[in-house]
Amino acid sequence: MGAREDEYDYLFKVVLIGDSGVGKSNLLSRFTRNEFNLESKSTIGVEFATRSIEVDGKTIKAQIWDTAGQERYRAITSAYYRGAVGALLVYDIAKHLTYENVERWLRELRDHADQNIVIMLVGNKSDLRHLRSVPTDEAKLFAERNGLSFIETSALDSTNVETAFQNILTEIYRIVSQKQIRDPPEGDVIRPSNVEPIDVKPTVTADVRKQCCQ
Amino acid sequence: MATAPRSLDTISLCSTVSSCPDRNGFYGGFQRTDKPKEPLSKAQIIAREKKWLYMIDNWSIYMSKNYKKIRDRCRKGIPKSVRPKAWFYLSGAYLLKKKNPNVYNELLEKPGNPTTIEEIKKDKHRQFPFHEMFLDEQKVGQIELFNVLKAYSIYNPKVGFCQAQAPIAAFLLMHLPAEDAFWVFVSVCDVYLQDYFIPGLEVIQNDAGILEGLLKKTCPPVYRHLQKHKVEPLLYMTDWFLCAMTRTLPWETLLRVWDCFLAEGIRVIFKVALVIIGASLSRHKVRKTCTGLCETLAVLRSPEEHIVEEEFIINNMMRLNLRVEDFQIEHTRQKARRAKQKAQQEAESSGSGNGHRRNMPTL
Repeated sequence: MGAREDEYDYLFKVVLIGDSGVGKSNLLSRFTRNEFNLESKSTIGVEFATRSIEVDGKTIKAQIWDTAGQERYRAITSAYYRGAVGALLVYDIAKHLTYENVERWLRELRDHADQNIVIMLVGNKSDLRHLRSVPTDEAKLFAERNGLSFIETSALDSTNVETAFQNILTEIYRIVSQKQIRDPPEGDVIRPSNVEPIDVKPTVTADVRKQCCQ
Repeated sequence: MATAPRSLDTISLCSTVSSCPDRNGFYGGFQRTDKPKEPLSKAQIIAREKKWLYMIDNWSIYMSKNYKKIRDRCRKGIPKSVRPKAWFYLSGAYLLKKKNPNVYNELLEKPGNPTTIEEIKKDKHRQFPFHEMFLDEQKVGQIELFNVLKAYSIYNPKVGFCQAQAPIAAFLLMHLPAEDAFWVFVSVCDVYLQDYFIPGLEVIQNDAGILEGLLKKTCPPVYRHLQKHKVEPLLYMTDWFLCAMTRTLPWETLLRVWDCFLAEGIRVIFKVALVIIGASLSRHKVRKTCTGLCETLAVLRSPEEHIVEEEFIINNMMRLNLRVEDFQIEHTRQKARRAKQKAQQEAESSGSGNGHRRNMPTL
């Protein structure tokens, strides 16, 4: 890895969640290595990869985590969520059941992840136009009602993959920046290259402030 | 199937794909072996084969009176031509098949749980995608993989189908005809990896604690490094254990490890894991460059090539200073710890009402 790759201003951990077979692993490989594999193996256990992007002149290093989607694996994924500041909740637009299970995944996030985690709803496999079973508007409305970002992607033909990650990382960055502006004594916005990951801790005081985007 | 135009520049395979398979049937992927194996002489191979065939013909006598001979020969490696039959006997599958004539075919006639069948269908094309048996849906491999997994899900509805079982079933189908593979699979899932795949995945959580305890005993500096950076075992060991190393090891190493696994059980998977972890992080220089969780995980999940060579793994496995008692001690210790944790969790949940409860890392 080059020296430039190792230097960053922020390190954000983002988790990929969603039913088995919706394309989580190919979203990861498309974004981090620009690869799509028609014959990808099912994910068992934990995988992760990193890639850096620029937002407002700052280097954001994205640490993307991927794990098994089968329901019984939720028993062993609590460590997976630790420190995550963002989540891409993926469903398959050609399989309505994977969209119906989004509610369950949201509950999973509520139980295991930081309550301030930024969540984006991702309808993957948008290339399967003739097999669509989840109308865009329906999912978009669901996202709005639940305070989620929304986008449709195709890891196969690359549609919106770059945009999805760029958008969630930008959203996380905006929130972190706002926090820093409100709490300037905690340090400079620009941090040294060996910075520790930003850990957005849960609010423990009675004063629960809403996220800026809500 | 996708209807979008599929230009070559948007689709790529993660490995080079050859136009002809290696001697094990792989066109690509990390388990393809390009270099020829160092050959035993023809006479040596024949001699070993004869010994194995004699042992198989007198199996119950060897099992009851000279198991040590079986174990030692398994550790040396079973000759390729005899391996399928040897595994069939080692696993006890030959007894299961004898006791259950035609059960496999009867299971295949049954419909099975529709949700489970759907899950199996999603995964049957996602095992060993570079192997000639599993290249596409028409290949007998995928058909038989579906059949074995379906039959098992009906045979043991308590498990049904767990995604991690698929590579094990596929691996066995590369060596045995479907019905025989099925019974070895039953033995592996219900005896060797008993309760591993039941929803809740309790056993692997226990085994994660056991692995940590054994690592503390066998390689304290590495143990301390993992603790320091909060590298929990479930972040690196999950697929090693749930898939019985079938996705982790180069092919020749995997075969040797399974020779031992079927002879000695889950202890072998623990030992392989300890060798990989220990060898990957034993050098202070490496630990120094692994300054955090991700760097450490990357080293563990992609061990250096020499670490997963068959002789390295097998020799170091034998060299580990671990007795059966050590496993039992850690098992008891972990069981007590888990019981304590559950008691605490119950106390918290009843005491805190609607309070936000987060799983605390085990330390």
